[in-house]
Amino acid sequence: MFGYLIDVEVTSPPDDSISCLAFSPPTMPGNFLIGGSWANDVRCWEVQDNGQTVPKAQQMHTGPVLDACWSDDGSKVFTASCDKTAKMWDLNSNQAMQIAQHDGPIKAIHWIKAPNYSCIMTGSWDKTLKFWDTRSPNPMMSLQMPERCYCADVVYPMAVVATAERGLIVYQLENQPSEFRRIDSPLKHQHRCVAIFKDKQNKPTGFALGSIEGRVAIHYINPPNPAKDNFTFKCHRSNGTNTTTPQDIYAVNAISFHPVHGTLATVGSDGRFSFWDKDARTKLKTSEQLDQPITACCFNHNGNIFAYASSYDWSKGHEYYNPQKKNYIFLRNAAEELKPRNKKW
Amino acid sequence: MGRKKKKQMKPWCWYCNRDFDDEKILIQHQKAKHFKCHICHKKLYTGPGLAIHCMQVHKETIDGVPNAIPGRTDIELEIYGMEGIPEKDMEERRRVLEQKNQETQKKKQNQDDSDEYDDEDEPGPSFQQPAAGQPQAGYIPSMSQPGMPPGSGAPGIPPGSYSGHSPYRMIPMGGMLPPGPGMPPMMAGVPPGMPPPVAHRPGITHMAQVPPAANMLTRPAVPAATVPSAQPDVTKPLFPIAGQSQQTVSGSPHPPPSTSSDPSKPTFPAYTQATVAVVSPNSGSSTVSKPPSTVTSKPATLTTSSATSKLIHPDEDISLEELRAQLPRYQRSVPRQAQSTATAPSMGPVGGMISPQQPGMRHPLPGQYGGPPQGMPGYMPGGMPPYGQAPPVVPPGFQGAPPRPPMGMRPPVMSPGGRY
Repeated sequence: MFGYLIDVEVTSPPDDSISCLAFSPPTMPGNFLIGGSWANDVRCWEVQDNGQTVPKAQQMHTGPVLDACWSDDGSKVFTASCDKTAKMWDLNSNQAMQIAQHDGPIKAIHWIKAPNYSCIMTGSWDKTLKFWDTRSPNPMMSLQMPERCYCADVVYPMAVVATAERGLIVYQLENQPSEFRRIDSPLKHQHRCVAIFKDKQNKPTGFALGSIEGRVAIHYINPPNPAKDNFTFKCHRSNGTNTTTPQDIYAVNAISFHPVHGTLATVGSDGRFSFWDKDARTKLKTSEQLDQPITACCFNHNGNIFAYASSYDWSKGHEYYNPQKKNYIFLRNAAEELKPRNKKW
Repeated sequence: MGRKKKKQMKPWCWYCNRDFDDEKILIQHQKAKHFKCHICHKKLYTGPGLAIHCMQVHKETIDGVPNAIPGRTDIELEIYGMEGIPEKDMEERRRVLEQKNQETQKKKQNQDDSDEYDDEDEPGPSFQQPAAGQPQAGYIPSMSQPGMPPGSGAPGIPPGSYSGHSPYRMIPMGGMLPPGPGMPPMMAGVPPGMPPPVAHRPGITHMAQVPPAANMLTRPAVPAATVPSAQPDVTKPLFPIAGQSQQTVSGSPHPPPSTSSDPSKPTFPAYTQATVAVVSPNSGSSTVSKPPSTVTSKPATLTTSSATSKLIHPDEDISLEELRAQLPRYQRSVPRQAQSTATAPSMGPVGGMISPQQPGMRHPLPGQYGGPPQGMPGYMPGGMPPYGQAPPVVPPGFQGAPPRPPMGMRPPVMSPGGRY
């Protein structure tokens, strides 16, 4: 892959904050990146082996796009928006059609590929989690959640949803989706992002949960020893242990796991990204500080590319929003920096 | 352990009030958190030692012990492990512990078990080990029991999502849940918000916190509890497959009583507990261990939660996206017909990539929107894109919103001095 000293800037970035990024699955040759934004659009770029990015296409919603995902075969992109709809974008024909409807903005969308069914899962601020066969206007299933969906992740057969008021629900997806367990939050602040990780046998076994308080919890579903195995760590904070100035604590905006190494990346409102090894419980790297928060991130299917978006996340409120400020998506060579450390304990 | 006898209680750090199992660990903690030079990261042995080091080596004075809670920052007190703690603080500590034990039998102190990772790879987080005998919860049956209280479950789930019966066994928390599938009178006496002993360890025993919620949901219909198997190996399935009767309970030496239930709670106790559990004595390090309600207490946009830290987040309990979506400029745009006059194509310097006359590129102004949702073919000329070109298509069927007059989103401007 490309190996350069500075991170590559993606051409033609969206005109407003980027809410989500997703790389194409391994079933497709090459790397295609989609990014949704608050400009109501979702764009698709081809990322070539030399690092060049080529804008390919885009689709629009009638409200900001909050999440997007790929089908497992890479032929479709699903997008979720504040306009309360989700769309299926057929990339071959470049046509998009609505496949889901909620009573509130849809915050999370994921494709589920089970042996006996395939569907789209949408989590909304209307406190429901719905599952859609894309051919039918009515949901296959609708599950009530205790609160608004703030983030979700799916790694078959497991799904995790984190909601407002620090709600946390695990679903199992075998045969059909059902609620598996509600978990008391390991964090004391608002949930913001969640990502499932897998064990050495490549089965989902737990998740990382990030909050607005610069902290990530690593939580296993069925650990041998929860007290020892589950833990939290602080991240995206400033000022170290200097007692004279207060420490600034930033939200964790997104978490992504490296598909090969199992190490993770976190990006925060402080404008930095960090790489971590959750098994060795160490930090691998923290980036320099960008001048805008980092709002989204993702790895490509083989873990060679780390994409992250630099745009305003509203963490300082409306006053700090500058619509003229350019938004960026960067690509970084991730092949080396996310290798795990040797276990220390 | 330690160099002198412990003063009849678990070692604790005078600077930040944290508990430790072992005085050695306490000392490691103090060296790392309180006696570490912020300039050169050298670990000293005492507060005065750190002060002297900073003065001599860096020519800098420090005014307090790092990461100490207010009132405990005295740099001149020579404290090492448990030695040097003023007697009155020891007394106070004993009293507080007594109080805690008495009034909150079932609550344990919340432990912030994270030490920030740094490149020096400090020893793993210091957990406060849960009291012995806390069983782990095994698999909880899927929440598809009939007759669930409203709002608690998923009404959309047909019962029997696991082939009509649940192979899951319920492992209720010992001590809280008496045996028997009925409604034991003891349950009625439990206040709805009262968590079982293990529930207050959000940082630690997450497994253990599940049963209260599960108890409520898994009604007496759930079969009797099972015998837990030995420690599982890594290859056990995450969720037991329907039809298998194998026990895939994560190891717990504590034989659980049979199923009990807690029918009367209309809401998930886990959530009310979670908010209660937030109160944490541990604020010595620069963590912000405050209850979520504090976030909304101040009118300013930046919430100052303590003297040592500040959360960079608007002072409201909703998410950043919800806050942002309230703005008029992000309200639902009106689907429009294709415009012949283009709004400025905003694909930036990559000219020609997206043909400029395509409508719907962008809506730069609030309330205005440049086009219906449609395909946007824009390809590198000469390339071989995998996606074929296609004419724009109006989505069939599901129109998100009824068509509205273009400027209908804004109410008419009020005439001055009048009302309309």
